[in-house]
Amino acid sequence: MGGKAISGGAEAKAVEVLPAAPPEWWRRLLAIRELGVLIALIVLIIIFTLLQPAFLTLDTFGDILTQAAELGVAAVGVTFLMIAGEFDLSVGSNFAFAGVLLALLVTQFSASPFLAVPAALLFAGAIGLLNGLITLATRIPSFITTLGTMMMWRGLALAITGGWPISILTASTLLDVLGGKAVYRTLRISAVWLLIVAAVFWGLLGKTAYGNWVFATGGKREAARALGVPVNRVKLINFTLAGVLAGAAGFLQFGRMNSMSPVWGDALALEAIAAAVIGGTSLMGGSGTIVGTILGAITMASIRVGLVMVGAPSYWYTAFLGVVIVLAVILNVKLEETFAWRR
Amino acid sequence: MAPVAPPAHPLLEARGISKAFGKVQALINVDFQVGDREVVGLVGDNGAGKSTLIKIITGVHPPDRGQLFIEGRPVHLASPKQARALGIETVYQDLALVEQMSIARNFYLGNEPTRRIGPLRLLDGTTMHRMTEHALREIGITTLRSASQDVGVLSGGERQAIAIGRTMHFGAKLIILDEPTSALSIKETRKVLDYVNEAKRRGLSVIFITHNLYHVYPVSDRIVVLDHGRKVGDFAREAVSIDDLVNLITLPREPTRGAP
Repeated sequence: MGGKAISGGAEAKAVEVLPAAPPEWWRRLLAIRELGVLIALIVLIIIFTLLQPAFLTLDTFGDILTQAAELGVAAVGVTFLMIAGEFDLSVGSNFAFAGVLLALLVTQFSASPFLAVPAALLFAGAIGLLNGLITLATRIPSFITTLGTMMMWRGLALAITGGWPISILTASTLLDVLGGKAVYRTLRISAVWLLIVAAVFWGLLGKTAYGNWVFATGGKREAARALGVPVNRVKLINFTLAGVLAGAAGFLQFGRMNSMSPVWGDALALEAIAAAVIGGTSLMGGSGTIVGTILGAITMASIRVGLVMVGAPSYWYTAFLGVVIVLAVILNVKLEETFAWRR
Repeated sequence: MAPVAPPAHPLLEARGISKAFGKVQALINVDFQVGDREVVGLVGDNGAGKSTLIKIITGVHPPDRGQLFIEGRPVHLASPKQARALGIETVYQDLALVEQMSIARNFYLGNEPTRRIGPLRLLDGTTMHRMTEHALREIGITTLRSASQDVGVLSGGERQAIAIGRTMHFGAKLIILDEPTSALSIKETRKVLDYVNEAKRRGLSVIFITHNLYHVYPVSDRIVVLDHGRKVGDFAREAVSIDDLVNLITLPREPTRGAP
């Protein structure tokens, strides 16, 4: 930049009356995009701790993170895709199909895990890519495309297993690495995988040019296209990533349970979308954060663990979760309306 | 500023442009020029052919007849991308910025600066912020607090300013502003007109398309009037008054059908 600074002559006109400046720490606090879900999570922790003091222990936290792992991994992929302006309702079926595929490869076909894991992940990615290709080629909403593929892959998972779960009952390094092994008391290794996935996608979204394109593609596709962003390629890549992460979530489940059932994950797609929107991701595309989604998944797991600890019957989980989703989204919207200008 | 000898060729010249869409003759034998450091107001009623002319200049449509020249060289623009590579940038009213993204992220969208850390290429956030704030200050935008603000919280005028600043920063020679003031308050319109002047002072040329003669008149060097696909006026600003222009535009004429 060798250009000399030219006075625009606008300084005199620049005296705008801004609202009284709040203290800097307050502004920074309100600028946190995950503020809504943080408040929701803290309130829940306080409630559960008052009802059951044992809730506030490291053991419980390990349990919560472990419960959040599979949902969190799938939700990161769903978040990425939602920011680019598309949905994937088939992640639960992909989760089951890819998990079953991996289980079949290592049991029926005695494939080496070094081959079976990449092969099954590749297949999960192909399922995602197919969603993207159908959606972009035919211009039907991805909501519809993936509603169809959701049923198709669920049906195929049931068909190839006859509806039966596939289990590994002997000691297995593969299962240990995927999610079976505890790294600290109640904390399973699947929680570590969640943190790795979250870190990688947090970096990709916030610290790379590609992340910028993802936001622009979902925020205003025509503006992004006009500036040279390959918007269709961005969408296809994100569909594929959502598929890969759904499959990976299935592997974690397989590792944690020593077993994979073709009926598991039937609510996963909606739970993943719930984790994303609790964490502040927009249903319209263009905004969202990975940290918010992880906090959303942790919030949902906290409700599950907390209700068990206070002795509530298990169906309370779904009812309570429904209320929390609506309250958290109301909170997000109100915070955004009130404080967005302070960023 | 020292007087500069006028270049031998205009920055952009369109000669004898005709364009039809089906039976509708959108442009009929139009000659149009933009000089170096010249602000040209392009005015006319709805359906006069303003948009069609701009789409031909920016490579969206090929002309049926006629030829474009850039700095004297004949060019055939096959795509908007090609026009952009030659320094012709358009700022569309509603399509320029992504509301959910910060100013800095918008400013560098599609041109993100990265730095290498090991095998990774990461966004250079510091440079993005510093350069964005620098570039915006240079064109006279001083009311923004920080480049990390979301575009969604900005006024229409501020958004126009950022879009204009971005095209200037990335080396445009000719900026086409499509109705830049149509959705703005009086005060904001004033500011956008300041940015047009600033662009000119920095050596760029501008085509300013509008319905509003009162907006375009004070900043234009020349005003071109289209009507039903024909050029009906091309005046140096000093040679014409706003009243003359209003009369010219509202003069009843027969719509032309078919080729001349």
